[in-house]
Amino acid sequence: MIYGIKRVLRYTFGRDIAGRTLAVRPDDTFIVSYPRSGNTWTRFLVANLLHPEEPASFNNIERLVPDSEAQSSRYMRSLPSPRTIKSHSYFEPRYPRVIYIVRDPRDVVLSYYDFSRKYRHIDDAYPLARYVSDCVRGRLNSADWGTWGENVASWAFARAARPGFLLLRYEDMKAETGRELQRLADFYGIELTPERAAAVIERSSAERMRELEKTEGKDWVSTRNKRSDIPFVRTATSGGWRTKLAAEAVAEIEAAWGPIMAQLGYELVTRKLEITEPVFAATAPTRAESRG
Amino acid sequence: MQKLIRGTRRALGLHHPGRNLDVWPDDIFLISYPKSGNTWTRFLVANLAYPDTPADFSNINTLTPDPEALSKRELARLPRPRILKSHQYFDPRYKQVIYVVRDPRDVALSQFHFHRKRKVIGDDYPIERFIARFVAGETSPYGSWGENVVSWLATRQNRPGFLLLRYEDMLEDAARELAKVAAFLELPPDAGRIQNAVARSSADQMRKMEQTQAHLWSSTKSTRQDVPFVRSAKAGGWRESLPDSAVGQLEAAWSHLMVYLRYELRFPERTSNFDSRFLEPILSGTVR
Repeated sequence: MIYGIKRVLRYTFGRDIAGRTLAVRPDDTFIVSYPRSGNTWTRFLVANLLHPEEPASFNNIERLVPDSEAQSSRYMRSLPSPRTIKSHSYFEPRYPRVIYIVRDPRDVVLSYYDFSRKYRHIDDAYPLARYVSDCVRGRLNSADWGTWGENVASWAFARAARPGFLLLRYEDMKAETGRELQRLADFYGIELTPERAAAVIERSSAERMRELEKTEGKDWVSTRNKRSDIPFVRTATSGGWRTKLAAEAVAEIEAAWGPIMAQLGYELVTRKLEITEPVFAATAPTRAESRG
Repeated sequence: MQKLIRGTRRALGLHHPGRNLDVWPDDIFLISYPKSGNTWTRFLVANLAYPDTPADFSNINTLTPDPEALSKRELARLPRPRILKSHQYFDPRYKQVIYVVRDPRDVALSQFHFHRKRKVIGDDYPIERFIARFVAGETSPYGSWGENVVSWLATRQNRPGFLLLRYEDMLEDAARELAKVAAFLELPPDAGRIQNAVARSSADQMRKMEQTQAHLWSSTKSTRQDVPFVRSAKAGGWRESLPDSAVGQLEAAWSHLMVYLRYELRFPERTSNFDSRFLEPILSGTVR
């Protein structure tokens, strides 16, 4: 009952977390990904792209690119249009424009393991192999986002190759940051000079974000009251799974999500899938274009 | 003030939860895009699962409850396992799903008539304009037809706990398709029980019940009574009633998906720009 009253008051005063009840505007853009897939980095890149006058930090990111799953309905309403909003949601038809970031799930689970320890969802002794099974079977503590496969597949297939949807791979963003930033700029219709691109990338670098986390991490909504001995900004590299993940864990991930991994260009090491023509949908020419 | 009332209704569990339904792990969902044979499936499954209570429009909301029509409190009190009706796009909490899909050309046509019935549009509303909005997903809160179907297929097709039925297959041989449902629900493969459920759920039966009970049911209450809810219950009506331009719009949007679902295209040479090669291996999950 007390809980009920609290809820009434929260709702009445707009203090409820926006989440899936967010009032979406037609000019909203969403940065969506499964957790631990480069979402925060992308938020910094986009914030620095859209706001050259104000370098992004953990102190202002909730204003520049707010987290709809951490902020209240009222706060979200108070922000001016057009908004760019962060989300981890699986497919949501109300999101009009979506930047979706995908990352190799073998790296995602490793990063998520550290994150779950940071959040005290598991302790340090929790076996990594068991954690991988939890991920694959959708048994995570923070399971609101579906499994990696459900989250990625629901967006990729519902929206791929359609206007208003930009699919980015974390690995491409690491390897070719300038090129992928150009795609982001094109998505927003922003002219990008080489100087401005360099500034955006520098202001969003892992080194700078690590420095900011040291001073601002205790205040940021996503790291406040969490273990400070485990960083939020982790290695910011790809392929860590090759040395850190046991063969059985890799096999379990590939058994569950092999087809979509292969389609997204992640090479499988424990099974062979014959996909006649690997197509990365968002960058592939449309049928009309290939006909010339 | 209105917000305070809404908040209080929420706290007391008097609101219709819809997508915010509290899900039990043993819940079973009957899902389809609107106008895809969902009500017929509800009758079939209710008559199969509860043979002692013949389904009609006055009890269908309790036999196969609808989270958009019942309150949170009523839903929480129902005996388990619940067999719930839904039009929702993908929700990872739904672990047992029977998904009914229907040719989008017939779905669009049926929704056009349904919107007339509910007085959302007038009788003179141009069908081409309706189809354009249908393709864009503007005529329904459940995403576009393609988004809704794909959101389930891409995440659940060929995985345990997911049964895909085609409305057209159900029309062709309802008993055969209902036997699949019986197996899915782990009910005994009793041919008599299945036949009985099919007979009680026929379109004729449902039309008769609609005539006497339409005012009792949440979906038909205060709608136009001259436009029936139980419509033709046929496949392929679009061939006579949809102009080529409308058919072209629908096929241009979803040809890849229609081919996957075995809906023959009228304009196979005009394919959609969505690359079906990206879709196919994930849906089939083929390992060679």
